[in-house]
Amino acid sequence: MAEQKGFTLWFTGLSGSGKTTLAKAVERELRQRGLKVERLDGDIVRQSLTRDLGFSKEDRDKNIERVTFVAKLLTRNGVATLCSFISPYREVRARSRAEIGNFVEVYCDCPLETCIERDVKGLYKKALNGEIENFTGVSDPYEPPENPEIVVHTDRETVEESTAIILRRLTELGYLEAEAGEVYSEEEETAVEERLRALGYI
Amino acid sequence: MSLFSRFRAKRKPRVVVIGLDGTPYTFVRRALELGRMPNFARMLGEGAFRRMNSVHPCVSSVAWSCYMTGKNPAKHGIYGFIDRKPGTYDTTIPTSRAMRSETLWEILSRAGKRVIVMNVPVTYPPRQVNGVLIGGFLSPTIEKAVYPPGEAETLKRLKYIIDADPWAARQSKDKALAEVNAALESRERTLLHYMDNEEWDFLQCHVMETDRLYHFLWKQMATDDSVYAPRFWQVIAQIDALLGEVYDRLDENTTMIVMSDHGFCTLKYEVYINHWLARRGWLVLPEERPQRLQLADVGPRSLAYSLDPGRIFINLRGREPAGQVAPGAEYEALRDEIASAAMEELRDPETGVPMIAHVFRREELYHGPLLDQAADLILAPVDGYDLKGAMGKETLTFQGDELVGMHTYDDAMLWIRGQSIAVESFSVTDVMPTVLHLMGVPVPGDVDGRVLL
Ligand SMILES: Nc1ncnc2c1ncn2[C@@H]1O[C@H](COP(=O)(O)OP(=O)(O)O)[C@@H](O)[C@H]1O
Ligand SMILES: [Mg+2]
Repeated sequence: MAEQKGFTLWFTGLSGSGKTTLAKAVERELRQRGLKVERLDGDIVRQSLTRDLGFSKEDRDKNIERVTFVAKLLTRNGVATLCSFISPYREVRARSRAEIGNFVEVYCDCPLETCIERDVKGLYKKALNGEIENFTGVSDPYEPPENPEIVVHTDRETVEESTAIILRRLTELGYLEAEAGEVYSEEEETAVEERLRALGYI
Repeated sequence: MSLFSRFRAKRKPRVVVIGLDGTPYTFVRRALELGRMPNFARMLGEGAFRRMNSVHPCVSSVAWSCYMTGKNPAKHGIYGFIDRKPGTYDTTIPTSRAMRSETLWEILSRAGKRVIVMNVPVTYPPRQVNGVLIGGFLSPTIEKAVYPPGEAETLKRLKYIIDADPWAARQSKDKALAEVNAALESRERTLLHYMDNEEWDFLQCHVMETDRLYHFLWKQMATDDSVYAPRFWQVIAQIDALLGEVYDRLDENTTMIVMSDHGFCTLKYEVYINHWLARRGWLVLPEERPQRLQLADVGPRSLAYSLDPGRIFINLRGREPAGQVAPGAEYEALRDEIASAAMEELRDPETGVPMIAHVFRREELYHGPLLDQAADLILAPVDGYDLKGAMGKETLTFQGDELVGMHTYDDAMLWIRGQSIAVESFSVTDVMPTVLHLMGVPVPGDVDGRVLL
């Protein structure tokens, strides 16, 4: 078996732009292909590894610094590492890229209005009411990536479409084996169903 | 083979598994008593030969998936030969892509073992291994069936046959036998080629021909048909010879295992569960019937529907696109009602005896992250009653098709050379950790099966 080549897929974007959703969808696909996968998610990491940190610029930097360290270890040990963090600052992401090596940046592009409309966790409402300080997009800046490997437009793509875009690009980048075509062509699928029917299995 | 590899091959523990699909323990006992399996008879005393349970539902795709992962379906995701696409009324045929777990041969590959795997169900499309993998009977072509792709040449040279053609087999018993014999010969030829010419630590050959033979000729054997019973036994003799060929090739360090995934019995009736659900008003089918009704034709007012074999799904709000039944109390009440009605009402049309042995709620059988994909109720039939998911049938039961045999749950078999089995009651799920143990490879923590030795 060809040794799995480690990489970090770094999802960046506003809160509610789809980072967690897509990281989970990609995780499922990669596992199905038999890859070793780890997922590091902002919401989870902040309850453990970086429990002591807040959302000031300094603390956000520390949060990413620690996660980057873990992602580096996983990546160099051949794990597909999926990181989903707002990670709003360009310079910080550039540091993670340099540190980790096999780094694939995924920009979850989604207009702020859509994210506010989605308000998956009810945080925008609070932020807009002034109940949360330093909230990215509302009271703190988000710097979009200039040269991400992958861009998904989650306001106009379905989760499946965005996932497919990511997987195709990973294949092009050489991190995934090309799929050996469709499982069944239409004709083959009919033949397989007929076979099962002949055996009384369906 | 170089001197060095010959030396190495001698010292490492190796395992070869021959899968005889659908071969019942009780049948092999009888064949031995009748002197029909002389090779297996001489092997038998050298190891442990035991009766083994299958899984629910006991069809090959589920049973072999449980075998190869050592896990229950809620951890590997294969619940039948057909399944729903989540959130739709579309059906799909689960393949190796749908299997959400590492397999025995993938774990062995990771441990640096070289594996050869031939024809196991639900291994198409082939996933990577350290060695060779030939997909199972639902592989569309030889080219697409093999990993690495280069092996297709070898298989073509060996005139490899993926599977007997079941439509030909339905035409006549003679054609069925011709199909089975041709596929069996190709299987043996290919198996021995790989045994003799390739290096391997683990080798698995799956014989599907037994299952096909039983489906089409079990009754003829059971009733001692003057023409076809002898020809049935000829195939068994051929399989026995294959076991002997493999056995005679093995050295001290190689453990041989012979196993099946479920048993077989004579089919009394096919039982159409959707006919019953419709009669009870739980399933609403359209007035205008297309030629072949599909799951997608299930009417929006339906409360329940069934897929092969004996799996009943509640048309649940929030899960099915046109879900009718509210989760919680309403769901539970309907499950209870259908379960007790199935036990009470599904009876043999002649004798009136119950056709259902047990109704399982899914959480009684399965546990794991994919439990949500399971059927809500799983009906386990009394032997002889084959539960079908066909829609729009005009009667509850039917008799007299070309298919004369059906699967049974508690009559699979396991023989392990040179070992004794320490466990009283066990299932196909327990074989995989046993193989890992024999090969000195650690058993992953999320495996459900136990080491049997
Ligand atoms: N193409 C898409 N990719 C990702 N999410 C999408 C997409 N389209 C719609 N969504 C929805 O957007 C929401 C994104 O939420 P989430 O993944 O929690 O965002 P984040 O992790 O960025 O805070 C989910 O409710 C998801 O279903
Ligand atoms: Mg998130």
